[in-house]
This record gives sequence, C-alpha cells and structure tokens, in this order.
Amino acid sequence: MSRESTPSNLLRSSVDGYGFNKGENFDHESYDEFMSRYISVLARRASRWQALIGHKTRVSKSRKVKRYCRKGIPSEYRAMIWMSITGAEARIRANPNTYRNILLSQRDEHLSEPITMDLHRTFPDNIYFTGTEGFRKPLNNVLVALAHKNIERGYCQGMNFVAGMLLIVLKDEEKAFWLMDTLINGILPDFYAPDMRSVKAEQELLGEIIRWKAPELHAHLESIGVQWFLIGTKWFLCLFADVMPVETVLRIWDCLFYEGPKILLRVAATLILQNSSKLQACKNFSQAMDAFKEVTTSASCIDCHEFMKKCFDELGPFPSAKISKMREECLKKIY
Amino acid sequence: MAGRQGAQRPNGATQGKICQFKLVLLGESAVGKSSLVLRFVKGQFHEYQESTIGAAFLTQTVCLDDTTVKFEIWDTAGQERYHSLAPMYYRGAQAAIVVFDITNQDTFARAKGWVKELQRQASPNIVIALAGNKADLAQKRMVEYEEAQAYAEENSLLFIETSAKTAMNVNEIFLAIAKKLPKNEGGGPTQSRQSGVKLNNEQTQQSEGGCCK
Repeated sequence: MSRESTPSNLLRSSVDGYGFNKGENFDHESYDEFMSRYISVLARRASRWQALIGHKTRVSKSRKVKRYCRKGIPSEYRAMIWMSITGAEARIRANPNTYRNILLSQRDEHLSEPITMDLHRTFPDNIYFTGTEGFRKPLNNVLVALAHKNIERGYCQGMNFVAGMLLIVLKDEEKAFWLMDTLINGILPDFYAPDMRSVKAEQELLGEIIRWKAPELHAHLESIGVQWFLIGTKWFLCLFADVMPVETVLRIWDCLFYEGPKILLRVAATLILQNSSKLQACKNFSQAMDAFKEVTTSASCIDCHEFMKKCFDELGPFPSAKISKMREECLKKIY
Repeated sequence: MAGRQGAQRPNGATQGKICQFKLVLLGESAVGKSSLVLRFVKGQFHEYQESTIGAAFLTQTVCLDDTTVKFEIWDTAGQERYHSLAPMYYRGAQAAIVVFDITNQDTFARAKGWVKELQRQASPNIVIALAGNKADLAQKRMVEYEEAQAYAEENSLLFIETSAKTAMNVNEIFLAIAKKLPKNEGGGPTQSRQSGVKLNNEQTQQSEGGCCK
C-alpha cells in the first residue's frame, strides 16, 4: 500500500498543527497514512462529544466521560475538558487573583534564574517558542509562578516541556498555571521534588511491572546491564512530552488528567512490551539503549488511536490497588 | 532489519584492538554538554539546544593507531537537583569530561565540585578532562585560561578549551582522553557489565560518524 509521490505531497507543511517543525527525520509516509484514517475517527468523536456537552462550559466526571477521554478528546473541546476533569477550572474560580498576585510579588532570583536559562531551550523547533513573541514569555510566567507557589519544589527541568505543551493546547497562561499546579499537587506522584525520590521509584516500579508481565525480557535486559533508571527519567518527568509524537502525547494526557498516573505506566509498559522481540534480540548494553530510543518514535507510536487502545486492551490485568502497593514497595527501596 | 551485528569482515583479517569505554559528561546547566556531544557524534550544532532531562546515551568511535576506541557516552542533565542521579551515570565510568562555560565563573566553581566528587567517588583510575567550553565567546571571558590550566595541573586533569559552536578542539578532547585510557585490559576496574570491555571483532558496529576516515 505504498503511496505514490503525488503533487499534493509537495504541499506537505513543514510545521504540524501544534507549531512543531517536522524535521528531516519525520516519517511522512506513516503520518499521512495514519491521518487519512484518523480524520474519520476524529469526526465521529467530535459528534459524540458535541452530543454529550451541548452548550455546557464544563463537564463533571462520569463513566461515560472517562470512556470518552480514553477514546480521545477532540481538539476543540480539549482545553475545556482538561480544565474541568482535573478540577483546575474550579480552582481558578475559587482563586481568581492568585496567579496575577504571584507574578506581581517580589521574585526570588534563585528560583527564576534556572527558568530563564531554559526558556530558549524549550521546544526550540516549535514556531511558537522561537523569537520573543509567542509563548516564551507566558512560559516564563507560568514556571516562575509555579516555582514561587510551590517553593519547596521550585523549578525542576522537565516542567518546562509540560508547561510548554499545556500552553500550546490551552493558549492561556493562567489556565496552564492552574492545570500544572493541579497536576503537581493532586494528580502526579511527587515527581518534581528536589530529592527526585518519586521519579526514581516510578522507574523501579516500571521495572517491576515488566518483571511481572514479561519475566524473560526483564531477565534478559538485566543480564546485559540495563537498569530501569536509565530508561524512564524523561518519560515520567515530561509525561512523554518531547518524547512521543505530539498527537499521542495529547491522547495520553486525555487519560492522565482523568485517571491519574497509572496511565503513564500503562504507556511505558506498552512501549516496552510491543517491542519485546526487538529488545530481546539486543546482544549488549549499547544495542539495548539504541532500541529503547526507537520505542518511543516508531510508526506504531504515530498511530495514537491504535496505540492507546493497546495500552488498555493488551496489557492484561493492571489493578490500581496492586500498582499502588508496588509503588510503595519501590519507594521504600529508594533512600 | 533488526540485527546489525556482524561487521562482515573476511575471517582472519584483523583490524587491531577494539576497546570500549564508558564516558560521562558533567557540569552546570547550559554550559554546552549536549552540544559538545552532538558536535562529536553527529558533527552538528544547534544554537538553541534543548535542555537534557535525565540523561542521554550516545556512542561514537575514534581510531588511535591500531586501536579502535568506542565511547559509550552519558550526557547528563545539569540542574542542581539532578545531582543525586549523577552517581548512577558515573559509576563504573573510565572517563569523564567536566564542562564549564568560560564566560561564567560560577560554572567553573561547579566544575571543581564535580572534579572533587569524581576523585572521591568514581573509579580510582578514571581519566578526567576539564573542558572550558564556549571558547568562541572569548570576548566575554570570565575564567582565565591560566587559572583553569593551573587548577587542572594541580589535579592531574586534561584541560582543553573547546567550542561546540565552531567545533574547535571537540574531537581533540575525546582523542586526548582516548590516548590516556589504558588499552590493554580495557581500563580500570570493571564494575558493571557495560564498561571497559575489550570486544571481539564481531561485536562491533559500524558507526557512521567516521572512524579511520
């Protein structure tokens, strides 16, 4: 089913719908093939969501909404749904002046300096983050406000990519601030804590999940020197932003914001398990590290719809209670 | 297309020794660690290089006389809080490049901190190189060459000023390290499987980046 090179290919934009330059390694073939199918999925989802929401400006959580989130939120509703289901929208209403006041108050140089340094190093290949216009200043504001509101955590590299992606979708810095604050304080494990204990533990937990789901693969990877902390730091700190294709990241976040961090483990485990034969074939450490780089960018990650289905359908039982217990065990091992 | 092991070489044709070393880059945020690696491995430079989260793994090979030296490179994140992750990357490393920015005194102080930590906690035979990066910005220099060189001498470090932007001394610093590494038994104490092993010829991979070219 190879597609011929038609004149329309010449019209391919070098920038995607979210402002990212596609770059020379962009897999146009897989992407076009996927988009031609995905467009009809999007249209169907949009009409379902429209029937559900009507003219409402917020939604409450329900089984139906959860199911809909798993199938993807159409871009026109995404900002509103994210703000509703996380509770960030309610927090803005309850604290209408907080964001502005934090930005107006005295700034601690120690908190702001590392942020300034990362502004031009966040999505440098995205048209909204190059130059002085666009999202660079809002990004600075969001990160500075977050660091000052959560002083004990401050700024952790990785937050810049998450906040940047939120700005692209929400197009509103106050909303991005509140959604991110809600993530940090209510939804995610304490990934951005200065001791990084939680993010280390989460990677151990990923290892334990692989041991549980694919003991042979786990044993093989350990035998060639792979340690789990080498794999997932960026996956968890960036919530897959700047790791997986953009559309896929947004689909992951549709579920993350509703269901919580277990979805990150589902994604991570699926990435590894769907490449288990490739990983199993690695003969040494450096081959394995190269293979791990490819697991997040392969064609199967571009098809976000199929990929998300896999995360839920093909992983087998994944009970929250068990995962939480395993997480606690892993945390105990990290000092 | 999965397996690309096997350098398809006629039996018996030897190409000398092949040694593999683990190398880690350490240093303050935004001094140019990733840029040095990108220049060395891919010959590229981006004015705005993304911040590294966690660490990135890359490999590159250099040739020294009859020895092929394969570097397994860990490029680490520079932010202070990532410090607690660093030992996981420098453990078992045979070489380290500690990078500072010649236009920023603080980054030199931080580099000294890294050197101290490596001398205390890394493998005893680790080869440490100090890189004064951003040498193309000499007009904004805040760390004198002599100052850094004196410090390097006191601590038996290699010292080179580099510019990832102009490519100045980038290959040279890796070559200088390669020269200093012991090539007999593959280097110091091998604490982990992936470090310091002499490979059989058939295990090598061709690298595009230009060994022996």
